[in-house]
Amino acid sequence: MDCQYCHFSAERSVDAGIPPVSTCMGCHLMIPGENQPEEITKVREYWNDREPIPWVRIHKVADHVHFPHMRHINAGMQCQECHGEIQEIGVLEEPEPTWGKGKMGWCVSCHVERDVRRDCTVCHY
Amino acid sequence: MSDGIKRRDFLKVLGISGAGAGLTGCSTEDVEKLIPYVVPPEDITPGVATWYTTVCQECAAECGMWVRTREGRAVKVEGNPSHAVSGGALCARGHSSIQGLYNPDRFTGPMRRENGALVPMTWDEAEAMLAERIQGAAGNVLLLTGQLGPTESDLFSRFLSATGGRHVEHDGLADAPLREATRIAFGRDVVPAYDFESAGMVVSFGADFLETWISPVEYGRGFARSSGEDHGSKGKFVFIGPRLSLTGQNADEWIPIPTGSEAAVALGMASHIASRGADAGPYSSVLAEYTPESAAAAAGLEANTIRDLAEAFAAATSVAVGPGQAGHHRGATAANVAVHILNAVAGNIGSTVHLTSPVQSSSSRPYGEMQVAIRAMAGGDVGVVMVRGTNPAYSLPGSSGFSEAFSEVPFKVSFASEPDETTAMADLVLPDRHFLESWGDSSPRPGVFAVQQPVMQAVPHFDTRQTGDVLLNVAARVGNALGPASTFEHVRSRWQDLHARSGSGLDFEAWWKTALKTGSVTVGAPGRQEAVALRAPDMALAFDPPSLAGEGDFTLLVYPSSRLADGRHANRPWMQELPDPISKLTWHSWVEMHPAAAEAHGLRRGDVVTVSSPEGQVTLPLFTYPGIREDAVAIAMGGGRNESGRYASGNGVNPMNLLPAVVEQPSGTLALVSTRVSVAATGERYRMATIEGSDDQSERNIAPAVALAALGHAAEEDHSEDEGHHGLQEMNLMGGFAPVETEGEAQDFPLPGSQYGEYGREGTPRWAMAIDLDKCTGCSACVVACQSENNVPFVGEQQVAMGRDHSWIRIERYYEQVDASHAGPVDVRHLPMLCQHCGNAPCEPVCPVFAAYHTPDGLNAQVYNRCVGTRYCANNCPYKVRVYNWYTYTDVPEPLQWSYNPDVTIRNTGVMEKCSFCVHRIREVQNRAALEGGRGVHEGEVTPACQQSCPAEAIVFGNIRDPESRVAEKAHNERTYKVLDELINTQPAVHYLKKVTFHEVESGGH
Amino acid sequence: MASLTESQKRGALTHPDVSHYSEVNRDVLAMLSTPGKGWWALFGIAVLGVGLFFGSWFYQIYRGIGVSGLTSPVGWGAYITTFVFWVGIAHSGTLISAILFLFRAPWRQSVYRAAEAMTVFAVMTAGLFPLIHVGRVWNAYWLIPYPNQRFLWPNFRSPLVWDVFAVTTYFTVSAVFFYLGTIPDVAAARDQATGLRKKLYSFLAMGWQGTDREWHHFGKAYIFLAALATPLVLSVHSVVSWDFAVGIVPGWHATVFAPYFVAGAIFSGVAMVITLAVPLRKVFGLEAYLTTKHFDALAKLVLLTSLIVFYAYLTEFFMAWYSGEPPERQVFWNRLFGHYWWATWIMLVCNGMIPIMLWFKRVRHSIPALFVISIFINIGMWFERYVIIVTSLSHEYEPFAWGVYRPSMVEMGILIGSFCWFGFWFLLFTRLLPPVAIAELKEVLPAPRRGKKAQEVEA
Repeated sequence: MDCQYCHFSAERSVDAGIPPVSTCMGCHLMIPGENQPEEITKVREYWNDREPIPWVRIHKVADHVHFPHMRHINAGMQCQECHGEIQEIGVLEEPEPTWGKGKMGWCVSCHVERDVRRDCTVCHY
Repeated sequence: MSDGIKRRDFLKVLGISGAGAGLTGCSTEDVEKLIPYVVPPEDITPGVATWYTTVCQECAAECGMWVRTREGRAVKVEGNPSHAVSGGALCARGHSSIQGLYNPDRFTGPMRRENGALVPMTWDEAEAMLAERIQGAAGNVLLLTGQLGPTESDLFSRFLSATGGRHVEHDGLADAPLREATRIAFGRDVVPAYDFESAGMVVSFGADFLETWISPVEYGRGFARSSGEDHGSKGKFVFIGPRLSLTGQNADEWIPIPTGSEAAVALGMASHIASRGADAGPYSSVLAEYTPESAAAAAGLEANTIRDLAEAFAAATSVAVGPGQAGHHRGATAANVAVHILNAVAGNIGSTVHLTSPVQSSSSRPYGEMQVAIRAMAGGDVGVVMVRGTNPAYSLPGSSGFSEAFSEVPFKVSFASEPDETTAMADLVLPDRHFLESWGDSSPRPGVFAVQQPVMQAVPHFDTRQTGDVLLNVAARVGNALGPASTFEHVRSRWQDLHARSGSGLDFEAWWKTALKTGSVTVGAPGRQEAVALRAPDMALAFDPPSLAGEGDFTLLVYPSSRLADGRHANRPWMQELPDPISKLTWHSWVEMHPAAAEAHGLRRGDVVTVSSPEGQVTLPLFTYPGIREDAVAIAMGGGRNESGRYASGNGVNPMNLLPAVVEQPSGTLALVSTRVSVAATGERYRMATIEGSDDQSERNIAPAVALAALGHAAEEDHSEDEGHHGLQEMNLMGGFAPVETEGEAQDFPLPGSQYGEYGREGTPRWAMAIDLDKCTGCSACVVACQSENNVPFVGEQQVAMGRDHSWIRIERYYEQVDASHAGPVDVRHLPMLCQHCGNAPCEPVCPVFAAYHTPDGLNAQVYNRCVGTRYCANNCPYKVRVYNWYTYTDVPEPLQWSYNPDVTIRNTGVMEKCSFCVHRIREVQNRAALEGGRGVHEGEVTPACQQSCPAEAIVFGNIRDPESRVAEKAHNERTYKVLDELINTQPAVHYLKKVTFHEVESGGH
Repeated sequence: MASLTESQKRGALTHPDVSHYSEVNRDVLAMLSTPGKGWWALFGIAVLGVGLFFGSWFYQIYRGIGVSGLTSPVGWGAYITTFVFWVGIAHSGTLISAILFLFRAPWRQSVYRAAEAMTVFAVMTAGLFPLIHVGRVWNAYWLIPYPNQRFLWPNFRSPLVWDVFAVTTYFTVSAVFFYLGTIPDVAAARDQATGLRKKLYSFLAMGWQGTDREWHHFGKAYIFLAALATPLVLSVHSVVSWDFAVGIVPGWHATVFAPYFVAGAIFSGVAMVITLAVPLRKVFGLEAYLTTKHFDALAKLVLLTSLIVFYAYLTEFFMAWYSGEPPERQVFWNRLFGHYWWATWIMLVCNGMIPIMLWFKRVRHSIPALFVISIFINIGMWFERYVIIVTSLSHEYEPFAWGVYRPSMVEMGILIGSFCWFGFWFLLFTRLLPPVAIAELKEVLPAPRRGKKAQEVEA
């Protein structure tokens, strides 16, 4: 399943976007039956009482860093190149350590590799 | 805009995580919850700005607005380019409406007063209470409002006809005499529209059309287009009045006449023109009486001054305006009539003065009506009084007796959304929505209509309700419902009629949508101007200078502040901290006095003085100002808001308390210039919160000028350039130093030998700016626009007094020639000083950590998160445009931080900052261009906030490497120079175009 | 009669009242015995002052640098002034110990130990001020070049980075030099001390036995370090002066700055040596070791540097006029008659006028007079830096942005506190290490006399 099905604005905005409940229900309404895994019933409850899902943020760059998702997606990068094998990781209650990813040196080395702009104001302004 | 609650939660998160944290560095420790929508609104993409059109309600001019929203949160207001009035620009006060919307002092919900204190209640209870009281009042309902839009005024009058009662409009900036004079002189009960743009000569009899008079943005643009030098010609502007307002400072000539003699001068000019055969119609006899000689005698001038002026006025396409609010003395209407006569004999009616397509969006209701209302209230004939959008308890003189009369009324309702002096007396407070949260419409000109739509859900911190809706509910409760129960419905139904009249091919919904998109529609605009002639006055007019009350040796001039207007903007920190264009003072009040007069009274700038009139006295610091007559002192309105919010209360004094409640006849306006005052020292000094170091250029080429006559002779220009260094040339012979030659032009950046890595890349732009000082009026709209765009914090009076003013643009004001003693040229230089983005920047090499460095596209960047705070860069900046975060200024009370721009980093303590050329806007455009198939950035696609908001269109921004760009063209104008460049070879990217004067100026401009 | 060496002859001249090695040991080591009330009183004050120092600093870190009076356009003020002041003070120490050592000036022996200690402590004080001054002290380490994952380095074009190197180098070298010089005396102290002190001295003495071999290496090492320290006297303060001279601020951007600052540094430093030596002499009864001859020599040094400094002032004013640039000219006019006229005149009088009195031998030989004059010079030199920094910044290129700076209570607290911080260390030093170099002093004394008389003395 494609990440951008839920993170809908990643290819046209700086923000990847957080899925609204309606997106989840798009599929989960189709799946009938009462004996659903309890995670799914949770989602359904949110939908039924019109409450948004309080997602836990696990990736965060500092507020003084501007990371335009769309530039990277449109450059053909895979989400995993920054977010790791995120699809393999199950439920995360706590923010994960980003294995040195999300650190500036890591951004820079990638920019150096691909020979794209890397002066400070590309990200810091 | 559905599912409000969910969105608010979502916004709260973004509001805080986007704008709150700032430079806290990378941290993945804290668990942060992200709250999305349940069902996403189709028109919002996270991280992408959505724009809505609406109508500014900060003053009666009703400029069209564009509001930039992020994730459903209004973050910036801008002028709507397709709107007749604003034409894309906005004034400083308009920009501050964001701080009105998010003002932390707004009422949190409906409240009633119980033994002195306000206690919260539900809207249901509140409306029930009001309905009951109104029924009890048996028709004796009084509704006091400010300027209203068409739908609202219709709604309110229908409400009053249903419940019985009277509606009185009151606006501290109203210009009733103008309207009345127009009725007397031409038989038309309108406020004329003036066409400054096509006028070759403008004469203002004290009308401050760049600040507070009728439609400042529109008139500012028109004036700049007329007076800005273009291909060797420019319009001339003569200011006639006792005090140079900001408008006056932009004049080429100043005739400092005593207050009240405007009529005499205008008639003197008219009679001279008439004597040359122009037809004065029924006023010929008057003009025969007022010869230039008699006028000269009345105004203390040379008769020839008036004759010459009259001839120039008759010769050119001209327009005369005034006297405006600052000239509202006992003879204001007569003076306006005189000016109309002058325009008429000069043949301006229909060409530059439009009576058949007048200004509809201008408040001009006289104080007389209010006087009647006050009597009624005092007499106990009013059962319920409702106040909305006006604050008479503050903006009327104490002597008017409003407060006393108001407190007589058994039940007082206020619809104010934040505390004010009138609301402080109210029994019931029903907080209104801010105009950015509510529905309405406006019709600024005949045939021009604009929708005022909510640009976001009401700010969740405040449980507010639009006054129209409240009245509709109340009407329903008292048993005579007025149709649909929301203002929105009423606006739509009105617009349905409009649609019918428009004859548009579209169906209503489509037409309505386009109206919302473009912001305004034109329906049945009047055709060609019909000729309007002078008609005989229907009453006796006294053109002689009026008498003044009181003893004292100074005439007191009370004028609307260009920042706080009549005090309505006083609780907005941006407005308090915006330096006054004249005095450059912030936060507190001051009294202006001519230096010579001050010396005669043994006073110095900064002395605390007591100004006393028969009505009362105020104590405030003295500001010496050469632009005011020696026999007058001036105090701006807007200070001394004692019942307002945290930012206004306790700042300054209210000059209205010095005024007798004199009603000017026949217009019935409140005379603002009606008393004499005496000024006495208290012996104390005040550390004034000013941004001004010196008003003298001290032999530097900061803001040079060039005489119009000298233009077009490039050779002599160059010669005169050197004369700045004349002394040096001589010393060269003695083996002294020669002036530094500029090594490169802005477009040459980076200089040969420094083109490594990214700096050598082909096709990188070099961003540059050009500012035309002949257009810049010093109105300071750019300053506030920049603050709003770049999250520039406000710092408070004490910090400004220390010299820690924080704005990224500083409008420098240098006096060259300001003389109140006689008529003659006036020469005040306004120069917006911002980071010059030097190609050879002194700040860059001295930063130990590369926080200040140069980007490949020629920006002088400041990397906040790298800054250690040694302040060496600021020391080494010759332009002193770097500002430092001495404290964390950015922690502002909820919900003020909602106005923060999520695209710009919030700066914390210990960090240097400065103008970034709106680098985030550049990046935004570059990102967009990249998404659109990697196209290049078009010329004019990037607009910094200052350029966007400039009413005078003085600022041009672009890629100077592109020879086709406008900035490149400006850079090669013969007036172009770069500040201090020839002295220290900084090679700035900001090019200034010299101011052009009619009088001779020393080369170098001093 | 054993024949005296050249230096011993001269030494005998400078120390006529000291006749025997043992007296030296006795008198000097007497200082290390239990302290008197006076010392405790001073030490108490110093400790309080240190409290004030760090209290004010932490308050500033907590509230933000805004608690200082600094503002725009005057971004540097009392802190940088005091930084330069202390770096200046430091210089005379090295000058006296290293340069005069190389020049074999015999009178230095009895003062150089105190002077060196002063150097070390002054640099310790000065080094704190750049940290106090920056807005985000927690990031100050970014000025140090170290490999990091960000691929970022400091800007080697910035004088502030040069400063980091200059000050740290200077501290290291002068500290080592100071320590090395003390070793033989520490050993002497060790041999008399008991208990904890003995442990301490034994550790510091590194097992010094005073064998010929040790003396040989000691001498070599000392010469090398002296040679190493000498250029620093010139280089460090030149670098400090470039903090200003590299800027384009009118009143800073002058080529005269390096020599001007070095001279000023020695000037203020020697004055400070006098200020410290006079009470030291009194309290510890060292009249025999710090004779008027020493003070006479110091005073001459002060006089010389005073003339150089005053010449530099005149050069500045002349160049300002000669440059013909309005900003330059107006800054200097403003110095004399502008808002800060008083500071400028304090500077001129204290550093230019008052030292003229030193032309007179009577003044040079009057200890009280020298003490007073030296205090004036200390004040004057602090104001010299204040004038250079503040008046220039307050009156720069952009007239509309001219401004005024008033130091705040916090800045005053830190300024006063810094003196206490310095005094704190110096007082400890007078207790723990021989303030007068025993060994080197002995070198210049007449060799012990044999015979009856001698025995009596020794008994």
